[in-house]
Amino acid sequence: MTDQQHDSQDTDLQEEAGAKFHRGSALSIFHSDRAEDFIALLAAMAIALGVYIMVP
Amino acid sequence: MVYTKKHPALLIMGIIFVAIGYLADSGGISGLIDYLKAGKYAGEMIGMGYAFGAVAVVVGLWHLAGSHEEGNLDYYMSTVAGAIFILLVAMLVRWYLAPLVALISTGLGPVMGAKYLHQVLGLNYVVLGIVAGIIIVNVFKIPEWAENGVRLSRFGLKTGVILLGTLYSLAELQSLGKLSAIMVGFFVLGSVGLVLFLGKRRNIPSSMGGVLSAGMGVCGVSASVAAAPVVQAKAVEIAYTIGTILIWGVGCMFLFPVIGHILDLGHIQFGAWAGTGILNSAQVAGAALAYQPDGIETLKVAEIFNITRVLFLPIIVLWLAVWYVKQEGGETTQKVNVGAVIFEKFPVFVLGFILMFALSSTGVFAPAQHYKGKYFDNNVKQSMLLKDDQISAVSSEMGKLQRDDRKQALKRMLDNRKVMTIDDETVIRGIYNAKVLSKDANKVLKGATKAVRHTAKKISKFRQWITLLFAFGLTGLGMQITFASMKQAGGQPLVIGGIVGTTKAVLSLIVILFFVSETI
Repeated sequence: MTDQQHDSQDTDLQEEAGAKFHRGSALSIFHSDRAEDFIALLAAMAIALGVYIMVP
Repeated sequence: MVYTKKHPALLIMGIIFVAIGYLADSGGISGLIDYLKAGKYAGEMIGMGYAFGAVAVVVGLWHLAGSHEEGNLDYYMSTVAGAIFILLVAMLVRWYLAPLVALISTGLGPVMGAKYLHQVLGLNYVVLGIVAGIIIVNVFKIPEWAENGVRLSRFGLKTGVILLGTLYSLAELQSLGKLSAIMVGFFVLGSVGLVLFLGKRRNIPSSMGGVLSAGMGVCGVSASVAAAPVVQAKAVEIAYTIGTILIWGVGCMFLFPVIGHILDLGHIQFGAWAGTGILNSAQVAGAALAYQPDGIETLKVAEIFNITRVLFLPIIVLWLAVWYVKQEGGETTQKVNVGAVIFEKFPVFVLGFILMFALSSTGVFAPAQHYKGKYFDNNVKQSMLLKDDQISAVSSEMGKLQRDDRKQALKRMLDNRKVMTIDDETVIRGIYNAKVLSKDANKVLKGATKAVRHTAKKISKFRQWITLLFAFGLTGLGMQITFASMKQAGGQPLVIGGIVGTTKAVLSLIVILFFVSETI
């Protein structure tokens, strides 16, 4: 992620109160969008597997 | 930096959740639930109340009594407080506030055909959740102990969008005519292009233009959420897009039926127009029902047009990924390598949506021809077949029907003691919606259609998960929208949304008048 793109994510919380988090961005606890995507995908697949196995 | 705060809030929220679960389980709040007509949420109150409560109590005790050092454990476990805070607000809105709003609105009577004010204005748990979040952040501020966890809301939305793919199947969409698919595609891509063009002319930020184009082109919340990470959109820009779509939809709901009647559009023509021109699903349904309150032919066409747009989501996201990199790079950037941009920027969670859609189309979660988990199957048990007295109750009123298709569908049903085809089911639902038969006869027809229409349990469970994730994500999103950021965004999105929406509505009406017949 470039600096310019990262800046555009510095929204609301950070703009008003300064940087509060030393990891992730104002919108995410993950270090990059791609990491957040993969973890969301893993979470969705885990839910899908759980539903597939547990719901008759 | 240590993120965990030694604060009793998480423990208290856990006790509140457990108390809700216990009271719903023991009947302690059955009076309130009955008053709010929120009985369908009682199961959620019990299950989620106990589950979230248990997690919050255990982690809350650890937050309060444990010793915390900087590291991954501290960083990730500290998010539980914020996550439970969002969930508590979201669930209070879903279980109590939204039903209360619906109750008041229903008391005022219908305002659009069979629709009530809260349905027209889209005041459901999603919108109310965003509003609740906005009020919390602007009036009370986000508590320090919740700040880290509030940043999980976008993650929740992404997981919800991936699971959204399970609700659709290829078989259902294959029933679309070629013209309708081309029409939807043309207007989706055209709207996106027009918003991007106008956005540049009116100097709105690329992130705002990007997310608004997806919202105006595809449809509402899901598209805005899916496109937001690609264009680095702010929370306020997503909220503005949703607001623009809703405001536009309210106007359309009132205007479309009037114009449709003036032009004497057929049911399929109007359904196609509403499904193309109006963006929010509930408002599409509202306009279709207002146009044809005595049947569901218009509604069905409008819904098919509406959901087809979802299939364009991956294409739009791809387009926006490339467009955004070009915009942000400006003139200083050398020629953009489209392949590299797609590889680097295309959101994996949209691929997840496609994966779930593909899985759902194979029939692993429900019969392959399902639509949002509902499917037709008339292999019903002997006990579900129509009885002699039911047959005589309906056949004695056959003379009240005017249309031949209705007479034929009803005759087939009476001869076979069950609904025979999916088309017959549509026609029969139209008969009881029209209320031309007596209450007893309508009850028989409702029972007959219910017997052949099944809900896949797995898809129902997916819907619950999607609801939970969207309620969580959007309430958290609201908590990131300050009045200052709204002021900064200005009124341009509404202006651009209005221009694009009007253009699309007029052009799609022209196309429908010239090319769409009643037999599309």
